[in-house]
Amino acid sequence: MSILATKETHVVIQGGVAGVNAARRMGEFRHMIQQPLNVSAFVYPPDAGKTNEVVCGNRLLTIPVYKTVAEATANHPEINTSLVYVGADRAYAGAKEALDNSGIQVVSMITEGLPEKDSKLLGAHARKLGKTFNGPSSIGVMSAGECRLGVIGGAFDNLVACKLYRPGSFGVITKSGGLSNEIIWICSQFADGITTAIGIGGDAYPGTDYVTYLEMFENDPQTKAVVIVGEMGGDLEERAAEWYGAKKRRVKLLSVVSGFCQESLPKGMKFGHAGAKEGLQGEGSARAKSEALKKAGAIVPETFGALGPAIKQTYEELVKSGEVTPIPELSEAEKPKLPRTVEQGMKDGDILVAPLIKSTISDDRGDEPLYEGYPASELINKGYDIPHIIGLLWDKRLVSKQEAEIIRRIIILSADHGPCVSGALTTIIGACAGIGLSQAVAAGLIMIGPRFGGAVTDAGRYFSYAIDNNMSVDEFLAHMKKNVGPVPGIGHRVKSLRNPDKRVKELVGYVKSLDLATPHLDFALEVEKITAAKKDNLILNVDGTMAAVLVDLGFPVDSLNGFFVLSRTIGLIGHWADQKRQGSRLIRLFNYLVNYAAPARREVPPLK
Amino acid sequence: MAKVLEGPGMGLLRKWGLQTPNYAVVGSAEELEQLAQANDWLNKSSLVVKAHEALGSRFKLGLVKVGLDLKGAQAAAKEMLGRTVGTLTIREVIVSEAVDHSEEYYVAVKSTRDGADVMVANCGGVEVESNWDRVKRCSVVVGDAPSDGALDALAKDAGFSGDLISKVADFARKLFLCFDNEDAQYLEINPVVLNAAGELVALDAVTLLDGDAKFRHPDWTFPFAAEFGRAYTENEEEVMAVDSKVKGSVKLIEIPGGDTAMLPAGGGASVYYSDAVVARGGKLANYAEYSGDPPDWAVEVLTDKVCSLPGIKNIIVGGAIANFTDVKKTFGGIINAFRKAKAEGKLDGVRIWVRRGGPNEKQGLAAMNALKDEGFEIEVFDRRTPLTDIVDMALAKK
Repeated sequence: MSILATKETHVVIQGGVAGVNAARRMGEFRHMIQQPLNVSAFVYPPDAGKTNEVVCGNRLLTIPVYKTVAEATANHPEINTSLVYVGADRAYAGAKEALDNSGIQVVSMITEGLPEKDSKLLGAHARKLGKTFNGPSSIGVMSAGECRLGVIGGAFDNLVACKLYRPGSFGVITKSGGLSNEIIWICSQFADGITTAIGIGGDAYPGTDYVTYLEMFENDPQTKAVVIVGEMGGDLEERAAEWYGAKKRRVKLLSVVSGFCQESLPKGMKFGHAGAKEGLQGEGSARAKSEALKKAGAIVPETFGALGPAIKQTYEELVKSGEVTPIPELSEAEKPKLPRTVEQGMKDGDILVAPLIKSTISDDRGDEPLYEGYPASELINKGYDIPHIIGLLWDKRLVSKQEAEIIRRIIILSADHGPCVSGALTTIIGACAGIGLSQAVAAGLIMIGPRFGGAVTDAGRYFSYAIDNNMSVDEFLAHMKKNVGPVPGIGHRVKSLRNPDKRVKELVGYVKSLDLATPHLDFALEVEKITAAKKDNLILNVDGTMAAVLVDLGFPVDSLNGFFVLSRTIGLIGHWADQKRQGSRLIRLFNYLVNYAAPARREVPPLK
Repeated sequence: MAKVLEGPGMGLLRKWGLQTPNYAVVGSAEELEQLAQANDWLNKSSLVVKAHEALGSRFKLGLVKVGLDLKGAQAAAKEMLGRTVGTLTIREVIVSEAVDHSEEYYVAVKSTRDGADVMVANCGGVEVESNWDRVKRCSVVVGDAPSDGALDALAKDAGFSGDLISKVADFARKLFLCFDNEDAQYLEINPVVLNAAGELVALDAVTLLDGDAKFRHPDWTFPFAAEFGRAYTENEEEVMAVDSKVKGSVKLIEIPGGDTAMLPAGGGASVYYSDAVVARGGKLANYAEYSGDPPDWAVEVLTDKVCSLPGIKNIIVGGAIANFTDVKKTFGGIINAFRKAKAEGKLDGVRIWVRRGGPNEKQGLAAMNALKDEGFEIEVFDRRTPLTDIVDMALAKK
């Protein structure tokens, strides 16, 4: 048996993220005792209509979120307990809403910093209704083997270490959350563990005092002794002493009270929980409380450290008198375990996972990215530049200084080509329509294809084909005419032999000046001689030139368009920023630039 | 509980219809002169000047001057302003009008578990303190207000007679309204006096408000004063500033002259650690606490302040078994500050004692233990060592 939180407890959690975390902790506990999750619903108006995910065992449950407690209990009539996790400014209204719900008997609040008046009003309201308001500032309630309300008990390993999978014989009531956990641990090591541990919260006037819970423990036959961890301030410990001394009680009472240090501190200096700072006229000192409890017949060790042995002695007496039968311990193998995550299993080395993707160029798992194994900072510090990174990430190799210089020149030459070309125009239209950088630039990049900037890969492919198959220029042109069509990389819309493309001249001139074998470029220039003779705009264009040079450098054919995409992105970003800077307005085509060749206006025939 | 200085305290009483003497809070003698051009009472009345700071025993320190005219008040203000008492510099004085009176009474409202007690005595000043049995009380359940009849009866019970009964009852009623609506925890008017016009006037007030209720009192624009009769130190204020910014909490109170520095976790355990130090005959150098899984950087700031305490011999990094405070993470903050302090020579001859449990305790304790390799004098214990045993060990080892 246990009190307050039992096998029959079904919970609604009022609150957001913190409440979801509590539910997850409660899910761990339920897994430990092999029971289904007892959190039925959440109430959190901003998320109403959504669901929260809560792990219980190896299952991921979806728990609905409602706008009001009434909606939650209407949909989940089993709910009898509410956990309040909302902020101090809304906590009163939330807890009142729960108390006023006919299905709910227990409301426990973890919210800290609740105004004292609100706490008193909620406590009084609950008493009037015959219900329990626990907290505020309560870490929760833990009934071993039955129910966990809130995060009390901490991590799963601690739950198991404290044997919370089955009930013991000791009840615990504390103000402090951390100490509740400490006492649970002590009870599991020095005795047979706990029945129920309750955090009543460290405020001056908690909603429910020790006496109410002492009465409940007195009526719970499983609980043989109760441990109270008291604090100076207020009169809760004195009232507990009064209750205990009033008549013969079935449960044994053990208690320690903190705050003896107060006696030797500068006057007026008080610290600890809010409640420990009360006591205006010197009342509520640790000594007065300890004396009262001792006088009432409670076991009051001198120090916190002596509490463990005192609990042990009490336990041994209970065993001796036959009131308690020692519980056999579980072996390590029998102890509950949390399902492991895949990550943990892999870390432990006993799970093999088939990866979904494979990456051979970079690794982000360390403190900085590795490109092909080289740390980015080391590349910078050793003088490497952007073309080298392109080499590493596109072709998995460190290119030479000479190659890097060629790449650098290609990027400079193709970075932009004015506002009129397809890509830039599209980006400009996008910028004027008010869309963002990445969208507008992406729109411009979409234009890159067979007719604009996208012929580099194809040009490289066919020039390679010719070289690889030892074709003559004539054989190549015949092959292209028969199987492909116009030669990619040859021909320009406005440039011609008489109006040459300076970029091509520049690049060809530079590459030819180097001590570098350029079979593809040489071949492409031979092709141009033939084609340009036929029609003077069938010149080797910038795409074709880049393609031939890059294939000569050994870059894979499929990466070639990337050089244009990369270079032109610089220009497209510039065009977007340029329009943005000017605050350009929406533009549309003038209709005199359209040849309206659609049928003239006519009557729509009747629908058949 | 948040203490409020006299100025704003008087303001709250006036808001709820209680009469107080005329008063002004000023930061300079010149300001007082300007005010006198607009407020006749400053020229005509006998004046009282008090340091408007959170200080105990102001009378003894010469920070209360009575029976002054405007010139005298200006001189007193000039003398008090800028004076330092301990770490505190007096920045404001409150100048108020003396009220001629013969009788002194006492009215207070105090928070209780069930609601509040309204307390009345027909003596006041120091007299009430030595005649506490003359204080009569009337308990009010939270959510209720005392009835007029009950307050009349209370005044009678306290020994008032004639028209004073209704006057005292009315005063108590208004004080209760102030208490209830302003989220006060303690309002004490001592003395309440009868002025020449036969009206009750609140001469001096202790005002303790519920700092947690600040969110619903937009007119609480005044700062709260330190609770313990001295100003906060710079380090305390710095930690408070961090505390107000983070999830969870970090707290620090410095205690001059101690040699055992405290860095425990949790509002409950921290006091048991302090108790253990005192029980062992040690001298606390501070109170500290971090709880509610605060971010590591906040714990780092706190640790930095603790390491900077003068003359410390031991640092107690204690804590119970945490529910949700991540031990590894919070210890990470502590370790960062320890390393910095060590590099600055602050930890020379200082021994560190650690005991803790909770989420990620193994990693956290291992990280602390590893500090040994860096030359720290540190002893690390886990949950199997009882809570305060590290204090015993720290203070036993001389």
